[in-house]
Amino acid sequence: MTHDLSFWTLQTLNALQLSMLLFLLSIGLTVIFGLMHFVNLAHGALYALGAYIAASVAATAGFWVAIVVAPIGVALVGVVLYGGLIQRMRKSGPMAQVLVTFGLIFALLDLTRIFWGDLALAMATPPALSGQVDLLGVSYPAYRLFIIALGAAILAALALALSRTQVGAMIRAGVDNDAMAACLGINVERLFFVVFCVGCALAGLAGAVAAPLLSVTPGMGLQILIPTLIVIVIGGLGSLKGAIAGSLIYGFVQTFGAVLAPQLASVLIYALLAAVLVIKPVGLFPAKG
Amino acid sequence: MFRHTPLRYAVLAILAIAALMQAFTAGYFGLEILIEILILCLLVLALDLVAGFGGMVSLCHGALMGVGAYAFVALNALAGLDPWLAALGAVAITAAVAWVIGAVCARSHGIYFIMATLAFGQMGYSYVFSAPLFGGDDGIGGIDRFDLTALGIDLSDSRTFALFCLAVLAAAYLFTVAILRSGLGRSLAGVMHNEKRMKALGLITWRVKADVFGLSGVIAGVAGVLAAQHIQFISPGLMNWTVSGEALVVVILGGLGTLVGPLVGAAAFVVMKHQLGEITTYWHLIVGVILIAVVMSRANGIFGWVEARWGARIERRLSDATRASTPKEVSTDA
Repeated sequence: MTHDLSFWTLQTLNALQLSMLLFLLSIGLTVIFGLMHFVNLAHGALYALGAYIAASVAATAGFWVAIVVAPIGVALVGVVLYGGLIQRMRKSGPMAQVLVTFGLIFALLDLTRIFWGDLALAMATPPALSGQVDLLGVSYPAYRLFIIALGAAILAALALALSRTQVGAMIRAGVDNDAMAACLGINVERLFFVVFCVGCALAGLAGAVAAPLLSVTPGMGLQILIPTLIVIVIGGLGSLKGAIAGSLIYGFVQTFGAVLAPQLASVLIYALLAAVLVIKPVGLFPAKG
Repeated sequence: MFRHTPLRYAVLAILAIAALMQAFTAGYFGLEILIEILILCLLVLALDLVAGFGGMVSLCHGALMGVGAYAFVALNALAGLDPWLAALGAVAITAAVAWVIGAVCARSHGIYFIMATLAFGQMGYSYVFSAPLFGGDDGIGGIDRFDLTALGIDLSDSRTFALFCLAVLAAAYLFTVAILRSGLGRSLAGVMHNEKRMKALGLITWRVKADVFGLSGVIAGVAGVLAAQHIQFISPGLMNWTVSGEALVVVILGGLGTLVGPLVGAAAFVVMKHQLGEITTYWHLIVGVILIAVVMSRANGIFGWVEARWGARIERRLSDATRASTPKEVSTDA
């Protein structure tokens, strides 16, 4: 089976687009885990919430307002969740956290159904991005290129913020040893709160940009949750590098698996995850050795 | 170490009597709910064995049940084996799969163990979802129930099937208790409390974990075979991770590591699902809120809460009563 250059370009772009979407979701989840040792299974539900908010806002105020409002809205929900649940669950074991957030999935799923109904919502791509762009001999939807660019921009911004700013240094210190960071005068609790809200906002942003590609359904949060978890477990919890590596691995394996070996594609990524866990039980680039 | 307190005996007796009464008095719909509860009981028994007594919080038990169901169908309908032989084969296959998963995941702990088992479960789910041999996402129908007509028992009747499931559940419960009381079960308790020390004492800890996971797979496999025979139709939905998640919810709502609690939880969960499902389509919201409340209350589920609150008092009162009464009456009590 031979494929020409345009096939590879096209599939690479598809893989990148999936990777960037997963990156937006997984970075929040992984840093929350790395910093707070908190497993938030409801992260996918926040993504779905972002998509719903975006679809509703876009219907009246247009796309650009929507992708600004959705992350803010989801971050506000994050504030409520943090104050109400997560702060109290911080000291519990992983199982209690998994269960509380599992309950939260149930609750948020039905709340979105109550507010927005069972029918799938559609969100139109903005006119400026609805065309096709010629790139290396292939015609590719501009909107998907926008997702790749947005993901790359946020990746760069986060990488800079984490490695060059004082807040970034504080976060890295907190991930490394939160008790010691607190002793050195860093307000770790406030740091947790900020990181949690940023993570929620990024999940909302991911939902908002994904909404025009997929139809917005209550189940979309559950569908994306497993890929996101795979990304952060392959990459190693808590690190930016891990989230990047994990998203790229997932995006490429999934996309190229689906076109090159369709029978194996669905099992491939899980087999890879199992292999990673057997060889390196804490993932490829864990925040702590 | 697992111990039967008087409270646990009492709750077991109440559950058994309630199940028998339901089996003999309920109509068709009530029997279907009863069978659903009994099969869920088997699954949560298997899950409590690994999660409550071995600290291995598994998110692949739904998938293991699915392996049992699919293996049964493959051996029975596709390979043409006798249902009994097929069931035996299916349980053996499930146990083997569970043993391998347990062995591979034994080195992981905490959240990594949860994720690793989730990965294996989803691997199975996506395999059957796309495998044309097993009907893909359409599932397979036309599954036979066991043939016991030679004994004058007709399992195609809901009532008989419910009683059959109840008998299987009772056997599975005794099996689980026997595992927990064996040397393996005691080693498992040691591994859960201090794995390093058990290792230092010369125990091969991964093998203990894998063995118990395999035995848990036996029960999950039995649950799968019964689930396949119950609706006589299977689809990949049986293996989705949400099934495992719900099973875990039931174990927690009931009381982790009490064996009896998860059974109470299973009955409560299924009844709640159907009752709330009639009133509102948003029953997940209510279940979710209850789950959050139970976990945040830090009680060990419904049964754990009752046990912590009244267990000691009931035990004291019963021991007073036995001391006051003659030995003869005690032996009939037990």
